[in-house]
Amino acid sequence: MTKYIELKAVRDGQRTLLTVPEVGLFTRALTRGSLVFGGQDVGHLLQLGSPIGLRVPADISGRITNAQPERVLAPVGFGDVLYELEPITAGDHSEAQEDATDAATGGLILRSPHTGRFWHRPSPDEPAFCKVGDLVSPGAAIGLIEIMKTFTQVGYNDAGNLPSAAKVVKLLAADGEDVTEGAPLIEVKPA
Amino acid sequence: MFHRLLIANRGEVASRIARACRSLDIQPIGVVSEADADSAWAKEMDEVCCIGPGAPTDSYLRGERILQAAKQMRATAIHPGWGFLAENAQFAALCKQHGVTFVGPSPELMARMGLKSPAKAAMRAAGLPVIPGSDGPLANTEEAARVAAEVGFPVILKADAGGGGRGMRLCHNDAEVRESFALCSTEALANFGSASVYLEKYLAGGRHIEVQVLVDNYGNAIHLGERECSVQRRHQKLTEESPSPALTDDERRELGAMAAEAARRVGYTGAGTIEFLRASPNEEVGPGKLYFMEMNTRLQVEHPVSELVTGIDLAAWQIRIAAGETLDLTQDDIEFRGHAVEARINAEDPTLDFRPSPGTLTKFNFDLSAGPGKLRLDTHLKQGETVPPHYDSLLGKLIAWGETRDEAIATLLAGLQAAQVEGLPTTISLHESVLQSAAFQSGDYDTASIPGWPPVAASN
Repeated sequence: MTKYIELKAVRDGQRTLLTVPEVGLFTRALTRGSLVFGGQDVGHLLQLGSPIGLRVPADISGRITNAQPERVLAPVGFGDVLYELEPITAGDHSEAQEDATDAATGGLILRSPHTGRFWHRPSPDEPAFCKVGDLVSPGAAIGLIEIMKTFTQVGYNDAGNLPSAAKVVKLLAADGEDVTEGAPLIEVKPA
Repeated sequence: MFHRLLIANRGEVASRIARACRSLDIQPIGVVSEADADSAWAKEMDEVCCIGPGAPTDSYLRGERILQAAKQMRATAIHPGWGFLAENAQFAALCKQHGVTFVGPSPELMARMGLKSPAKAAMRAAGLPVIPGSDGPLANTEEAARVAAEVGFPVILKADAGGGGRGMRLCHNDAEVRESFALCSTEALANFGSASVYLEKYLAGGRHIEVQVLVDNYGNAIHLGERECSVQRRHQKLTEESPSPALTDDERRELGAMAAEAARRVGYTGAGTIEFLRASPNEEVGPGKLYFMEMNTRLQVEHPVSELVTGIDLAAWQIRIAAGETLDLTQDDIEFRGHAVEARINAEDPTLDFRPSPGTLTKFNFDLSAGPGKLRLDTHLKQGETVPPHYDSLLGKLIAWGETRDEAIATLLAGLQAAQVEGLPTTISLHESVLQSAAFQSGDYDTASIPGWPPVAASN
């Protein structure tokens, strides 16, 4: 049975910092822009090989403003800040909010499989892989992720769970934007 | 040899082990509580990880956090220092389980030496004289009464898992033994988690003499002479010296050889100390006889006096043995030269029953050129630093070496008189009194009272 501990909330002006009251390797971190609420599981800490579930304290909520750690298993010490939260406000155009709206209109979000830099085109003088209104089908490239000077193609439906054809509704990550793992890249609608 | 070693401790001992690491080209890695995060000693480490708030139960006693910190900072060995987890067999076993070398003996041996009657039985089997008493824990009141009658009154009932002078009851006659046995057992269970109680003859006063040993993993064992630690207050050592003024050269050689051989026979490895009680010369049975008391399975606070008379770096050897090196010193290589005396400078007020006194060191200067001999200062503190209230009161140790005992005493006294420590009360004045007392200077003192303290008021 996984043991759970609560992160410690520290107020810092408008922001809330969530610090870890343990020592271990932090993993399953949530992405920037995610909304978190009291009692929510927000990752794991591995201590001597055993996972400890991390939870948000009961009275805390907010939107994550910091990036995920660079390492999948990031070493952290007692009191280190895992999340920085800003208050959730109406009309906040965060990715998380878009996720919610998009879900309502039946939109699907394609997310980045890695942390890196997202490129729209295969090379600077070639056209983009896709633009708003294009139809995409499994196997079609939608962009490139650059990680440590290595480029990996991001394909539509790499996971194999999307409709066989879809229409690009919106480009969510700009050409050349730094993205974290799980960050939204494009929004599509089943065609 | 290790590349990175984590020091699971703080303060003076962390600083001492870091120095030993540097001498062996090992990177010292530290753990700190929030109260120690900005301390000067933490800056001696190549990397540190915060493991919790100031209270030791939330930081320096949290074995899992410390071991995890060692893993994620890529340390392959853990030195526990003294205090905290240094004699915790569970922690040593946890380190072993996770493939991190614990600098100390095996967990099994630590567990055995941590309980009084198994330690006594093991050492008796290994050839050391033990204080007459029960063979291990007592089964019931009747057995207690029978053993007490055999060894003769007064006797003392002791909790097997006790320590630091707690969990003991002195009995002067049969009625007292019968009355105290059940009580002592109940108290032992409440305080130490084990109801086991044993009994031994009570020896009043006497001298605390301990032998330093080094044993490697291949059965090579040597001793580095003895330390006299009879200047004590409630079982807390204050002033220590080596060699002991109470032993003759023949006694010294014999005791040392016996201790090294016993350590080897019980399977001890690393640096360790075997403590003996030298019965008072006024004792009816066996006056002046030396008895095994306990074994400390770690480096000790007072180790520098042995280092100064032998020239051997005990902390470095402890790490080398843990790394699997062979002890390439034989007993004949160890030369004892001169005399060393150490004063523990604590943040305590000796005039107010040694009340601990945390605070800020507004002045902290020592003149190590004072006196005819040599001075060594082991400390982790710098002027201007604040001594946190969570930990023990040791500010540092001033250790003097001289060709003769008189020269060592004169040097330590000069060093203490030249010291400028301000901002909080310390035990410096106490040490000055002790060193100037006739009892200490004659070498004839015991654990019953502190020589020269409290000072006799000047008569006028």
